[in-house]
Amino acid sequence: MANLISRMVTATAAAVTRVGTSALAVAHEVGGIAVLAGRVLRRLIPPRLDGRELWTNLFKMGNGSVPIIILTAFFSGGLMTLQSAPFVQKFGATALAGWAAGYAVLREIGPILIALMFSGRVGANNTAELATMTVTEQLDGLRALAIDPISFLIVPRVLAMIVALFALTVLGDLVALGGAAIVAHTVMGIEWATMYYSFADNLAPYDVLHGLYKSLAFGFAIALTSCYFGISVKGGSTGVGRAVNAAVVAAAVSIMLLDFFLTYLTG
Amino acid sequence: MSTPFIEFRGVQKGFGGKPVLRDLSLDVQRGEVFFIIGTSGVGKSVTIKHLIGLLRVDAGEIWFDGQRVDGYTEQQFEGIRRRVGMVFQNSTLFDSLTLADNVALPLRKHSGLNTRQAHAEALNLLRRVDMHDYALRYPAELSDGMRKRAAIARTLAGKPEVMLFDEPTTGLDPISARRIDALIRELADTMGVTALVVSHDLPSIFGIADRVAFLYQGRVYSIGAPGALKVNGDAIVKQFLNGESAGPMETPGF
Repeated sequence: MANLISRMVTATAAAVTRVGTSALAVAHEVGGIAVLAGRVLRRLIPPRLDGRELWTNLFKMGNGSVPIIILTAFFSGGLMTLQSAPFVQKFGATALAGWAAGYAVLREIGPILIALMFSGRVGANNTAELATMTVTEQLDGLRALAIDPISFLIVPRVLAMIVALFALTVLGDLVALGGAAIVAHTVMGIEWATMYYSFADNLAPYDVLHGLYKSLAFGFAIALTSCYFGISVKGGSTGVGRAVNAAVVAAAVSIMLLDFFLTYLTG
Repeated sequence: MSTPFIEFRGVQKGFGGKPVLRDLSLDVQRGEVFFIIGTSGVGKSVTIKHLIGLLRVDAGEIWFDGQRVDGYTEQQFEGIRRRVGMVFQNSTLFDSLTLADNVALPLRKHSGLNTRQAHAEALNLLRRVDMHDYALRYPAELSDGMRKRAAIARTLAGKPEVMLFDEPTTGLDPISARRIDALIRELADTMGVTALVVSHDLPSIFGIADRVAFLYQGRVYSIGAPGALKVNGDAIVKQFLNGESAGPMETPGF
């Protein structure tokens, strides 16, 4: 009996230790991201950043993401129409087909899917690039040149990601509505005009804004996590792989948490 | 001898509880070409990184031009870094920039030059290291020796009073290595640049060094002119200079 109790106590202690260690590790990373956010914000007032790097990253991150975002947004819109199709046909509510698809896509599905795609394409690439620069001492090289790596490398990337994701979400919204209309017309035989009035009469400007302000928050989260894990990498090439993995997971979790709380707080 | 331009006093530094520098003291005079030599892992690169604040001492003092700098903040170190340039072992040129853009970067940031002026000056600097024909190439398209020469040009852009070279000839063919040596010597002789060179390339040491510090077990084991080092009768120094695997020298990791 005493032996059993002893083993249970040992197992419980080990489990508590594991949970504690994990909690400490998460707290360490969250703290690191918060410190980086503070450093970035401090360099924005007054702005201390490299304009050339900003434009380069805006083009690279924004322009390069357009095809994948168009594809994602088009099928998101189309998918929402397909999901609502049985109900629309059952109740003959074709006038609401656009509303059903638009409401879901503009407020939730669009911003989240676009942010996740952006994180996978741009965020992961950013982490890999910064992590490689870190392990090959390019960041130390910048410091040795008396150039602040945060101002030169991080601030332009953070701004570029926020602006690019916002712009891509605007584009994605338009494409998603187009996708919804095309699928509704070709699959369900709904008239173009019916879809147009379904969007125009039932969707409020706030439905669009709700998704757009979320995209700003998502962009900031993706930028911070991808930059943080990039510059805090330890080890060589395996460290780079771990950093990319951690950044993608952290960005996805951040997007979901932010989405929940922003929806809860703002409706 | 005059007051040292650079001085390390009893510097200690460890990583993960393992001491690397145990009580390192050395001084460098203005305009000298000073070599720090020793086996791999003895703390040569660690030593020079302390001077520009890329690493912080655990104990001891570092003095630069009469100022104690080891306790400087990151912002204060920016002032030191404008006077002390460093050429890293793996060049640290930015992969995403051409050589001209790499060299123009510190000029754009610190010299108040616009992009066009910075590029013109960058070309002059690349010409100085005989790399102007490759100005529009990216670092990945060049050999190690070419990248190192470009990295020297980028460091020269800041018009440094001191240049730190971390194994500048490692991995280079003998001809490229001697060209780098000649460039270091020329910078000291014509521009008065103080050079602190980490190396274990014996032809470099005996070719261009004014003085040499031999590090062993985290301390300066022997210091003096290269000629004096050559005739040093100490068994450990002799084993290093002769590259003998058997001998009294303890080499961690072997």
